[in-house]
Amino acid sequence: MVEPARRAFSVSARIAVPVFPGTNSEDETVRLLRDCGGNADLVHWSHGDRLAEYDAYVLSGGFAYEDRIRAGAIAAHDRIMDFVIDGAASGKLVFGICNGAQILLEAGLVPGTGPRRRPTAAFAKNGPQPHFVCRHVQLKLAIAPSRCAITAGLPPGALVPAWAAHAEGRLAATPQHLDEIVVGDHLAFLYAHADGTVDDAAVPNGSALHCAGLVNREGNVLAIMPHPERDGWNFNHLDRADGDDVLAPSGGAVLFRSFVHAVALRTP
Amino acid sequence: MLSGLSGPPNVALRDDELQRITERLGREPTLVELHAFDAQWSEHCSYKSSRHHLKRLPTSGAGVVLGPGEDAGALRLGTHAGDAYAIVVAHESHNHPSQIVPFEGAATGVGGIVRDVLCMGAEVIAVADALRFGRADDPTTQARNIANGVVDGVGAYGNAIGVPNLTGNVYFEEGFEANCLVNVVALGVVKESELIHSFAPKGAEDWAIVLVGKATDPSGFGGASFSSLTLDPDETAGNKGAVQVPDPFLKNVLMRASYRVFALLRERKITAAFKDLGAGGLMGCSAEITAQGGYGAAINLDSVNVAIAGMPPEVIAVGETQERLLWVLPPDVAPEVVRVYNEEFTLPEIAYNARATIVGRVTSERRYVLRYCGNVVMDVESEFLTGAIRDDLPYTEVIRHAGSHEELPAVDVETLLPRVLAHRGVASREPLYRRYDAVVRGRTVLPRGAAGAGVLAPIPGSPIGVALAVAGNPRYGRIDPRYAAEHAVVEAMRQIVAVGARPIGLTDCLNFGNPRNPEQYGEFVAAVEGLARAATQLDLPFVSGNVSLYNESASGTAVPASAIVSCIGAIDDVSNVVTPGLKEAGSVLLWIGSRELAVGGSVLAELLGLQGTLPSISYAGERAAVGILRDAIALGVLRSCRAIGAGGMLTALVRLAFDAMARRRAIGAEIDFGNPLCEAGGFICEVSDDSGIDLTGALRIGQTIAGSELVVNGVRFAIPHLFEIWSSPLAELFP
Repeated sequence: MVEPARRAFSVSARIAVPVFPGTNSEDETVRLLRDCGGNADLVHWSHGDRLAEYDAYVLSGGFAYEDRIRAGAIAAHDRIMDFVIDGAASGKLVFGICNGAQILLEAGLVPGTGPRRRPTAAFAKNGPQPHFVCRHVQLKLAIAPSRCAITAGLPPGALVPAWAAHAEGRLAATPQHLDEIVVGDHLAFLYAHADGTVDDAAVPNGSALHCAGLVNREGNVLAIMPHPERDGWNFNHLDRADGDDVLAPSGGAVLFRSFVHAVALRTP
Repeated sequence: MLSGLSGPPNVALRDDELQRITERLGREPTLVELHAFDAQWSEHCSYKSSRHHLKRLPTSGAGVVLGPGEDAGALRLGTHAGDAYAIVVAHESHNHPSQIVPFEGAATGVGGIVRDVLCMGAEVIAVADALRFGRADDPTTQARNIANGVVDGVGAYGNAIGVPNLTGNVYFEEGFEANCLVNVVALGVVKESELIHSFAPKGAEDWAIVLVGKATDPSGFGGASFSSLTLDPDETAGNKGAVQVPDPFLKNVLMRASYRVFALLRERKITAAFKDLGAGGLMGCSAEITAQGGYGAAINLDSVNVAIAGMPPEVIAVGETQERLLWVLPPDVAPEVVRVYNEEFTLPEIAYNARATIVGRVTSERRYVLRYCGNVVMDVESEFLTGAIRDDLPYTEVIRHAGSHEELPAVDVETLLPRVLAHRGVASREPLYRRYDAVVRGRTVLPRGAAGAGVLAPIPGSPIGVALAVAGNPRYGRIDPRYAAEHAVVEAMRQIVAVGARPIGLTDCLNFGNPRNPEQYGEFVAAVEGLARAATQLDLPFVSGNVSLYNESASGTAVPASAIVSCIGAIDDVSNVVTPGLKEAGSVLLWIGSRELAVGGSVLAELLGLQGTLPSISYAGERAAVGILRDAIALGVLRSCRAIGAGGMLTALVRLAFDAMARRRAIGAEIDFGNPLCEAGGFICEVSDDSGIDLTGALRIGQTIAGSELVVNGVRFAIPHLFEIWSSPLAELFP
């Protein structure tokens, strides 16, 4: 068991992973948060009221409300998001992965350049082919690490291994809103090759600006499409070295560690 | 609106079966009874013409936790923190529905197999698929459209419920144009002590029968008997109503709610029964779950949550609406379970009128009774309804196809290797499987495409691994059904061994033609013999399986004999899994296995226009090969490995080089070998040192070299160029 790591932080900060109807990545998300020292709980949609008690939120992957209308569109109006939107406004950290990221865009929290629940950008149907795509990718940090509290623990230009697994991950917005994203330094992560180069071939879904993740203006809400938690332990890596502890968190866990650390720093 | 459904009974029961029913009941059956027997006595439910042959398969062994007979089988995986864990496995087809409506047909196939595993009390951890289509490069067939729909359907369902697609295979061959095959496998993990059975336990008199899930609607009415008929394109429109409608969103919630119920029952130490509603709908499921415990059932159809008011009772009773399961629970626990589904997991808000409902009770009378609007609409002996019926159909002995010994011409590797790699049987499947989520739940060790078998670490916090592979080559099936079945077992086992796992058991899905055609039925019988022989020789039990007959076109041509086999492997510590791709320059390359120059059924034979003999299977040789691999792993000298399949040894070696390239290791190989494109089975292995290996069953054929180059008998190939050739054909057909 990798449980001991859980107590590495002696903070009382509590992280909630809300479960919407249709969420499917909640277990591994909570497990990796815990293995990275976080004090994380699943919070089921029937117990949404408990969310107010938490210090940070991680919205995990899945198909909340069946991706009806557009991925994240219904969930953005769920009561769960009242707590998340209020929490983000009060400075709590919010981290969305895949469907969680789609929900954050639909809720208007990232890039956050318009009113709440009036999205200015979306993770739209993949292009040029509209299929679901499951592909190993590298997330390249494209902002100064301290620009976003959640990435503050990463080195500049860090590469984070992850799996893209989605049918709607192509950043789409009007030219004006895309400009705002660039000018406002919202472009947190790009898709990159393993050597760090960024080009169209590294992008699995036709995303504008090679975008894999966005941050809000205040730097406390981060939305990324690929899943670091699916390449989050040594046993997940296809090129692990002999002698590595297969159960130890690694790879994509670097971003989870940075998040857990930031939550601890921020919580009084 | 519903009048068409209750018109003149359109049933597949034969006259002699109808007569038997009337005699036993002492009266004419009611309309509900007629439909109930039609479903329950269909080939799909009763295995009436296959069950007695299947008895030949070995089904027991030290590793068997639960053999065939329930919704899924179970195999011992290993012990973690004092608890013994089992892998639950089920394997099924959804061929006919997928031919008619590919997306929905394939999606409901995944949905059904997942419920079979879920209802054993297991957490569902993986699915796999084996697909057979007509030639997708032939624009005169529907094969490409069907393949697109099926792949999207398999993906959409598995992705939404959050179960990774771990492995699988796809063939595009003549003979599947009018009848594609969609076989699906699901795996679950459960503590052995917490397995839930699909029959009412001792002392279950008067227990509650609780229906859970989607509101019953008219979809899937007549599904069981539809699967037991031959497809006629002229009736496609009429058959569509027999196909069910998938709802993976609801299933996602149902699965999680059921996990919560499992925990509740474990806390209370309650033994309950849980079963999937499949063929025969509510009637089939409630009749079997009670009859197998030695009970009867009294069900009130008025209590069933329906999607449309006024449906006739036979539709409510036998309609095959998806996403439904059935509990048998103590009466005091039932309301609590209903509360978990309806209130905590808010089923009625997830899908229209979805819920858990108490619909009846278990009775000691051993009669199966349905009431509707105050009337008894069905009242029959449970045993008569669900008991074994048997059709001893005549069959023609299949003569083993000896093939002809043709002198193999000198093989020009330079022109043939690229043609083999671009062949529809060899070219990269990635354009298809990348539409499947291979990594959801974060437990994947070897995702789909990384090796011949997929590997997961299913128990959080434990290094124990499970491997899964599927096999079944229709190119062999067309030549010799018995051989193809044997070969499927051997090939699936080899894939498991090649990733460093220990094979522990098998499942099968037997896809054949019309059992009333003695020649087609003879192919089925021969295949069962082949499976039995291979499994016995390799000491591997079959723990679950499925038979799909009537896979033929309207003109009466059966699909190529397709015994599709999956093999499950156990791994004590996933750090010992053989990871993909060549590792280092200067390694020794070993070929382990048979060296005979038989080309029958191979890609090479097709390209050269040869017939040839089929490569022989030597079980002593297989056991020796497995021993050599195991030794190499124990010695720590095995760097990479791949089982040899379609395209032969050279294709397997090239794949190892591709996998190295994908991990940014520029490693090639230099080998010398007579005909490296023969498909005689075995393994290609990269070892750091072969001094400790018994080389009587292995042959040193070359070594790895630095740089992305492959040198075969002096002919040089650039590996990135070969990769282009291998990865383009399906990418063009399935952009």
